[in-house]
This record gives sequence, structure tokens and C-alpha cells, in this order.
Amino acid sequence: MSQSEMIVLVDVVLITAVVQRGTADLVVQAAQEAGAQGATIFHAHGTGVRQKRLGVLGLAINAEKEVIYIVVPADQADLVFERIFVCAKMDTPGMGILWMTPLEKMATYVPHEVAARFGLHVESRDK
Amino acid sequence: MPEKSLRYGQLLGAIRRHHRQISYNDVVAFERTQPQTLGRLRLVDVHRLVTPYVSVRILDQVRAVVPLAAMLVGFQALALRATPEEVEIIALGICGVLVGLMLFMEGVKHGLMPFAENIGFRLPGKATPAVILAVGALLGVAATFAEPAIGALEAAGRAVSAERAGLLKALLGPFVDWLVLAVAGGVGAAVVLGFLRYLFGWRMKTLVFLIVPPCLGVTVVAAATPGLDRVIGLAWDCGGITTGPVTVPLVLAVGIGVAASAGRGDNPLSGFGIVTLASLLPVLGVFAVAIALAGQPLPPIETGASPEWYRLTPFAEMLGALRAIVPLVLLLYFVQRVVIGHRMKHVDIFAYGIGAAVLGMMAFNLGLTAGLVELGNQAGTNVPWAFSPHRESGAPPLYPRGLGLAMTMVFAFCVGYGATVAEPALNAMGSTVENLSDGAFKKRLLIHAVALGVGLGAAGGVARILFDLPLAGLLVGAYTVALGLTALVREEYVNLAWDSAGVTTGPVTVPLLLALGIGLGEAVGAPEGFGILALCSAGPIITVLAVGWWAQGQTRERRRQRGRSG
Repeated sequence: MSQSEMIVLVDVVLITAVVQRGTADLVVQAAQEAGAQGATIFHAHGTGVRQKRLGVLGLAINAEKEVIYIVVPADQADLVFERIFVCAKMDTPGMGILWMTPLEKMATYVPHEVAARFGLHVESRDK
Repeated sequence: MPEKSLRYGQLLGAIRRHHRQISYNDVVAFERTQPQTLGRLRLVDVHRLVTPYVSVRILDQVRAVVPLAAMLVGFQALALRATPEEVEIIALGICGVLVGLMLFMEGVKHGLMPFAENIGFRLPGKATPAVILAVGALLGVAATFAEPAIGALEAAGRAVSAERAGLLKALLGPFVDWLVLAVAGGVGAAVVLGFLRYLFGWRMKTLVFLIVPPCLGVTVVAAATPGLDRVIGLAWDCGGITTGPVTVPLVLAVGIGVAASAGRGDNPLSGFGIVTLASLLPVLGVFAVAIALAGQPLPPIETGASPEWYRLTPFAEMLGALRAIVPLVLLLYFVQRVVIGHRMKHVDIFAYGIGAAVLGMMAFNLGLTAGLVELGNQAGTNVPWAFSPHRESGAPPLYPRGLGLAMTMVFAFCVGYGATVAEPALNAMGSTVENLSDGAFKKRLLIHAVALGVGLGAAGGVARILFDLPLAGLLVGAYTVALGLTALVREEYVNLAWDSAGVTTGPVTVPLLLALGIGLGEAVGAPEGFGILALCSAGPIITVLAVGWWAQGQTRERRRQRGRSG
């Protein structure tokens, strides 16, 4: 690859899930089975409005949270989103929140052969 | 085969969840018009919320209880080929202990700790030092009453023989309230001393050198007095019993607030020290009560009369649970409302916490008598069979005397060691220590040092019951060695070592070891079976101090090498 070139990927979607501490591994596994390639997990702390309204049951919800970033291609985004919703049991109050945003662009390591397949810097090897 | 066509869109529609869109604007606007509504929870929601929560907590308790119980049963089964009697009742009892401990810890966390944190945080700003000390002392007393292991004392007392140890029987029978009060008073005094230490920054070494010699002195005097010598074991055991899962966190929560207000909160060691004091001062308290009682004629112990309804099994435990927790709650509430003038929020959560604590204490007390004490007692009765004729059936000993005695010692060591390694409080302590000592004192090293000490202590305690060794001599010897090492070792390790003694004796270990000792004592005809816990507390002090001394040498060596190379 020449010094003045970089590969930028488009049609990328970021899925962010906030779940109780300890459940992130489950979510990541489900996302990977649905086609995600990787995930980043942060530790965080926070509460939502539902948790406060649960009363005594709200005690069962851990205020320590895990935030999961998953970057997926736009085509697979809906499927991954759905799998996370089901696996994290988001239809129960207090279990977490999940959202999805389109990303303008994304860059990472792209294997040379893959880049060549799309006609990019074919000539760099010959030099 | 008839072909059926299916549109791909239809298939996707069937297997995918349907996305229904609602504007978040609309949802928020709608909820604002009817606040505080919560859609009806489905049963599955409750399950999803509660099940993981409960299972984590019960697994914690299972991890603490089951290995110990399994060890007791396993030793009897493998070495003695005896199965415990009334297995169902013991199993039920152990379940009661599990559930009870879980509920109780949950209750303490939600019902009591918020009070204590609040008080620790606000009290120093609102009250004079005298009031703070008074609150601390009362808190120490009330928390001791709420300590689950205290119930084990009474249960253990039933097995003490009145003829051979009259004073001891009286202390554990009709005067058990005095005994608990003496222990609680000791803890109260310890809390006051601990707070003073925070305020004035006293060194732990000074306190240890001030308090341990009088305790040893009283022990020596008691050993020379007929009657009182039977109480030595009980007195030192009480020290280990007091420092459990209620007293330590409650007192620490208030104490750290006080330390912060005195400008010493940043010291990582401010948490240490109170535990040590709280396990030493009750010794003096118990001796004081014993000496007071020894002067009086002992009342005849009534037997045979049918007890009143409130002394029968389920009611006695319920009343006991209420009596243990209500004073503590009232005290905390009083301080919060009257002294600090702070109203509390989330009343429902407090109510839940206190309810859970009372229920848990009840279940624990029920399970304690039927499960843990019974199991320990049976093990104590059966274990001597390894080297002496069976007490009940008169069957000949299973093994030659030497081998049998060795097996018993190894068994006691394993029980002590295993119970300690599983202790969660010790794990937390280990991490702190590793940071404090620049990695010279590894976490695993601490855990194994403490466990080794407890194991040796347990073996020593069993040996002293079997051979009827003088407990006073053992204790004085052990603590003299500990004092000698204390003088040599750096302040950090002193804090750590003396506190590790209290950390090890939780609400599961205490009843098991007490009952084991008493069963053993019965089986070999010793007058009383206390003292195992006392030696279990002394053991880790010595081992941790010794390891600390070694680690200190290592650090110095490393520094010297670094200095040479740099």
C-alpha cells in the first residue's frame, strides 16, 4: 500500500447495547453467530427510569452495566440487532437498551487479497 | 412429491420479528401524562429478573457451606465407614442455613448498610466526638446481638455436661444473655477504641502491646483458679465468634466515615484494626462475667419441666431473630432521625431489607440447630472411633491408636484449611494486600498463609481436647510468639496479620467447629470442648506475621539489588 492511500469502508452500522454487568458475553456470542465480526465492551454504571419504577424488584437489576459496541455491515445490521434483542431479553423492563446508528465511514485493516479483489492498489505489489 | 412454492418475502416475514415503529417523542409525551405507571409484569419477566439475582447469591453460600459439610460427611464415610444419622433432617437444616444466610446478607445489604453509610457520612459533621463514640459503642453492642453465629453458642451449650463444668454450663444456660452482653460490651469497647485510633492515628502495634498482655494475664490467673479454668476456651472462642458478616461491615462503614472526617480517610489501612480489637476485648468481658458469677452459688439447672410455648422450636427461633435484629434497626433509625435529622428515601426497599434479614435469621437459626450443629456433633462423636472404642456401640477402634490420632489431626487440619480458602472476605483482603506491599505479598500467599494458620490451629485445638493439654499454656505460648513477631514486623503487616484472625471465622465455620469440638470433648470425656476457634484465631496471626517478616526481607533485598544496579 502506498503512503498516500487508505481504505475506507462504507455501508457500516454501529450497534450499541447497554446490558447488566455479566451478560455482555452472551450478547457478543449471539451477535457473532448472527454475523458480527467483533465487539468492544466497556464497563459503565447507570440506571434507567423503568428500574426505578419497578420498586423492590428493581433491586434485582445491577446498576453496573456493560456497553457493547458492535460494528456490522448494513445488510446484516437488522439481523444482528434482532438477535441481540432476543438474547438480552430486552422485552423485560430493566434488562437494558439497544440502538443502531449508521456510520459515515469506518477504517481498519483490510487483507491485501480482499482489497485486490475490489481493484484497489493492485500495482503496489509490483513496485 | 407435490411442489409447494413459498415467496421468500413470506418466509422472512414468518421467521423475523416484526418491527413496529413508534416515535419516542410520542412515548415520552404519553408517559408524562400518566406518571409512575408500569405495565403489568408478565410472570416470565419476574423470572428473568429474579432468577439470575437469586442464583448468584445462593451459589455464594453454597460455595461456603457445601465443601465443609461434604468434608465432614466424607471423612466419616471414607475413614470411619459411618453414615450420618437423620440425613434428611441434616440436609434440610443445611438448606435452611443456605437460604437463611442468603436472605440475611441481602437484608443487611439493603436494610442496614445504607443506614450505616449515611450515619458514617453525616454524623461527624453533626455531632460532637463524644456522641460519635457513644453511637459507635451502641452500634458495636447491637451488631453483636445480630451476628448469626452468636446463636451457635447457645446451641453448643446444650451439649456441655453440668457435672464436669458447672460454671460453663451456667454461662451457656441460664446466664447466656449475660454472656452475650459481655461479648457485645467487649465489641462496643473495641469500636470506641477503634474510632479513637482513627481520630488520633494510633499505631496498631501500640494497641496490640497494650491489649494482648492483659488478656493473657487474666487467662493465666483463670487457669490457676479452679472452676474458672473451664471458661478459658469459651472466652477466647467468643472473640472469634463476634467478628462476622454484620459487625465488620457495619462498623467499618461508620468508621471509615469518621476516619475521613478526621482527615485520615486516604490511608488504605484505615479499614484494619477494629476487627482485631473486636476479637480481643470480648475475652476480657467474658472473663469478667465468669468471675462475677463464680462468686455466687450456681442456681440449680431445671430439667424435665415442659417449656413454655415461646421456648419451643419454631417460635424460639422466630423470637430470637426478632430480638437480634430489631434493636439494631431501632438504634440505626434513631440515630438517623433524631441525631442527624435525615429523612430516608425508598422506605419500601428498607422494609424489604429488614424483612429479609429477619426471615433469613429465622431460617438460619432453624437450620443451625438441625443441620450444622448436629453434623458437627456427630462428626465429633464419630471421629474418636478411629483410635478408641466407639462410645455408644463399644465397637473396637478402627485403626491402630497412632494412625487414628494422626488421621484425626489431618482431618481437623483439612477442615480448617478448606474452610478458610473458600472464605470470600479473605479473597478481598488479599487483593488489598498485594497492592500495599508492591507485590511482595502475593494474594495467594496470604490466603494460603492464613489457611495454614487456621488448619494448624484447628489441629492444635483438636489435639488439646484429645490429650487434655492446658489451653492457657497453648494460648499464652502462641500469643507470646505473635507478640515477638509483631515487634519485628512492619506496621502494615501487623495490621493485616491481627485482622486475618477475625476474617476467617464466619457464620458457617463457627458452629461446625464449635460442635465438632464439643462432640469430641464428649467422646473422649474431656470436661469441655471449646478452644478450637481460639487456636484457629491465633494460628493465622503467627503464620501471617512470619510470612510478612519474610516478605519484608524480600522487599529489602530487592531494593538493595535495585540500588546496586541503578
